Amino acid sequence: MSTSALAELTAHATDRMAEARRWRAAGRQVVGYVGADTPVELLTAAGMLPVRLGGAPDGDSREGDRYLGRGLDPAARSLLSRLLAGDYGHLDGLVVSRDCEASSRLFYALRELRRIEPSVGLPPVHLVDVLHLPHHTTTRYVQAMLRQLRGTLEAWAGHEITDDEVGAAIGAHDRLRTRLAELAEARRARPARLTGTRMLSVLAATQTLPVERATELVEKLLAEVPSLREVHGRRTFLTGSGHDTVDVYSALEAAGLLIVGEDHDWGELPQRHRVGAPTELALAERYQHNGPTAPRASIRDRAAHTATAARACAAEVLLSYVRVHDDAPPWDFPAQRATTGLPAALLERQPYGALTEDAMKTVAMLRDGQEVRA
Amino acid sequence: MSERLASARAATAHQREWFADLRAGRSDGGHFAFVNADAPHEILRTMGIPYVVNQWWASILTAKGRTQDCLALLRERGYPDYIEQYSAIALAALFDPDPGSAPWGGLPRPSIVIGETSGDASRKIFDVWSEQPDITFYPMESAAANDVPVRWWELMPRRWEEAVGTDRLDLMVGELRGLIRFLELTTGRPFRETRFREVMALANEQQEWNRRSRDLIARARPCPLAVTDSIPSVMVPQWHRGTTWARDAARAFHDEVAERVSAGASVCADERARLMWIGRGLWFDLDFYRRFQDSHGAVFVWSMYLAIAADGYLRYGDDPLRALAARFAAFSDQLYTPPWSAEWYVKEARQHGVDGVVHLVSDDPRGSYFTTRALEAAGIPVLELHADNVDSRETDEASITRTVAEWLDHVVLPGD
Repeated sequence: MSTSALAELTAHATDRMAEARRWRAAGRQVVGYVGADTPVELLTAAGMLPVRLGGAPDGDSREGDRYLGRGLDPAARSLLSRLLAGDYGHLDGLVVSRDCEASSRLFYALRELRRIEPSVGLPPVHLVDVLHLPHHTTTRYVQAMLRQLRGTLEAWAGHEITDDEVGAAIGAHDRLRTRLAELAEARRARPARLTGTRMLSVLAATQTLPVERATELVEKLLAEVPSLREVHGRRTFLTGSGHDTVDVYSALEAAGLLIVGEDHDWGELPQRHRVGAPTELALAERYQHNGPTAPRASIRDRAAHTATAARACAAEVLLSYVRVHDDAPPWDFPAQRATTGLPAALLERQPYGALTEDAMKTVAMLRDGQEVRA
Repeated sequence: MSERLASARAATAHQREWFADLRAGRSDGGHFAFVNADAPHEILRTMGIPYVVNQWWASILTAKGRTQDCLALLRERGYPDYIEQYSAIALAALFDPDPGSAPWGGLPRPSIVIGETSGDASRKIFDVWSEQPDITFYPMESAAANDVPVRWWELMPRRWEEAVGTDRLDLMVGELRGLIRFLELTTGRPFRETRFREVMALANEQQEWNRRSRDLIARARPCPLAVTDSIPSVMVPQWHRGTTWARDAARAFHDEVAERVSAGASVCADERARLMWIGRGLWFDLDFYRRFQDSHGAVFVWSMYLAIAADGYLRYGDDPLRALAARFAAFSDQLYTPPWSAEWYVKEARQHGVDGVVHLVSDDPRGSYFTTRALEAAGIPVLELHADNVDSRETDEASITRTVAEWLDHVVLPGD
């Protein structure tokens, strides 16, 4: 019996370096990246496998804590710990975007460790400084940063990246985004057949696979969705922190919520924007206008997006889950609550990959449709 | 013990007078800006638009014991009271039912707020300001570099293009042009380049005086003044950067320091340990800085406020707008981003001959490991104090005093 696409994608979400190991074994380059502001098209165009790196909530984060301090998002501290422990295997390079302050600090730590403690053996690292104000001057800057990244990737790859290769990669990633947008539409259907946990796994898996293979599997999954069992729960729109693992989704859905949409950058948010044209300028504009994410967008833009997206998926409640030391989302919440008009709750300062007992009590109230005030 | 500096008293008196005038002038509804410390104040100065600096006002609120009231007002509105308190507490002015009860008669209501989109929370704080119908937020990009030359302090005065990088400067020049146009349209005031050149020249002269003062203090034994004196003597003029008053105040501070050095004045008669304070000022406990003089002969000889004035602001060049861009395109990197920050603190520690460093580590993402490591690698003992500089809820004054005293006993002055 052939494996279902859902099972295969879920397996890749569980073992995120599986495909990377195969690529390495075939003598091809694997580059890790941090943050959804990384223009993966350029990595694909260079013939590399881009693998988005995530943390491990149950892992040992002491090394990351040591270098980054305990005042930073624990997801970034975990990621650094895993890099130092060699959890991702050999990486030919590492691209870090400035999608949030924690990523910036992670980059600075990596750059400095390579300078002062070269024996640690970290891969070469490059910061891609994609900015987001909606100004033409910002577009020009982002374009310059993409050119700079392209130069670095050419040096790592040992060959030039042609415009045709960039154009082809843009087309391939846009096709994947289109399929994922269709999957998101299927997720929103009533009755629901895809849990939020499954959707998050699928999205994570597509960020570890070559783009063509990811697209094939998502197309196959689209055909499978109608035959999946119905799933039930309080239809919930999730905002707040990003989720690089499914732990919190699983806990929330086990408690009776059904996460039908979200606006963090491990979820559906990055699939909103396609590049559209096979040019470096179009690529720069796409990443400049990525989002709106909590750390980089205004309160007003976030609230407007959350309200629209929550309506589109017929959410019944709004839940903001915020990890400890994730500084942006709590500022967004008052306006998000007001704009969506849904029963809403804010879970602040939550441990990485988990919820406190008090938070679970709040979730139970929200599941029962009760408005929760801090 | 030495007398409080005349320049510190004069600076504080000037600030009070200036603030009272500002409040009086606001009755006619003219424009007034509220800006972050790393915003390009020189543009506002050139155009004659009065402004108050967010972090200065936070230091006043905290020194007057108002922080917890401010945080409570934020919490009541559903905003976090535990994130970027230093940048956030001034927001309480929007929600205070009795704004006149705030220090110095209260912050006038700004019409314009300006800040960088740095960090995750900073722009959100300004977003909250701009939710008021009569307040406009002008956000500015904050760019970062993939690769930087290490010894920025040698490059910044004249070779800033090398230090900051052309792409970041191009972006920041674009940002400044946008800001100028925004202010021209909003306030109806012109931006005259002749005036701007004067402002830039005055700002550079001021920082040259600060540089001389820093060098004097670094060489002087014993330390001739308390850091709590140097902070107002440097920072009040810093917030008036680009005026003749500020330039003259910096010179007066220098002359006073020089006089004290010549006279052999000391802040602590029996100076046995020279200490460096890394981090923002501990505004809720300013006595902290002199607490170890009598007990240990330990004197804080260094804070970032004079040192960054000496090294962080000077920018010369034929194109004043690009020079201003170079002042702010990477300003916070100088203080908080390795390798720049770490190597600069080591350079300053050596120049001042410090025996130990007390490093304030707040619960924020700025990180501390590389600064502490670089200093220790240079053979300088470091004590990390974990506290927030304005929010004392998590800080036990007795406990931090004991911690520092024990560190002095066992690490800095073990043979005493």
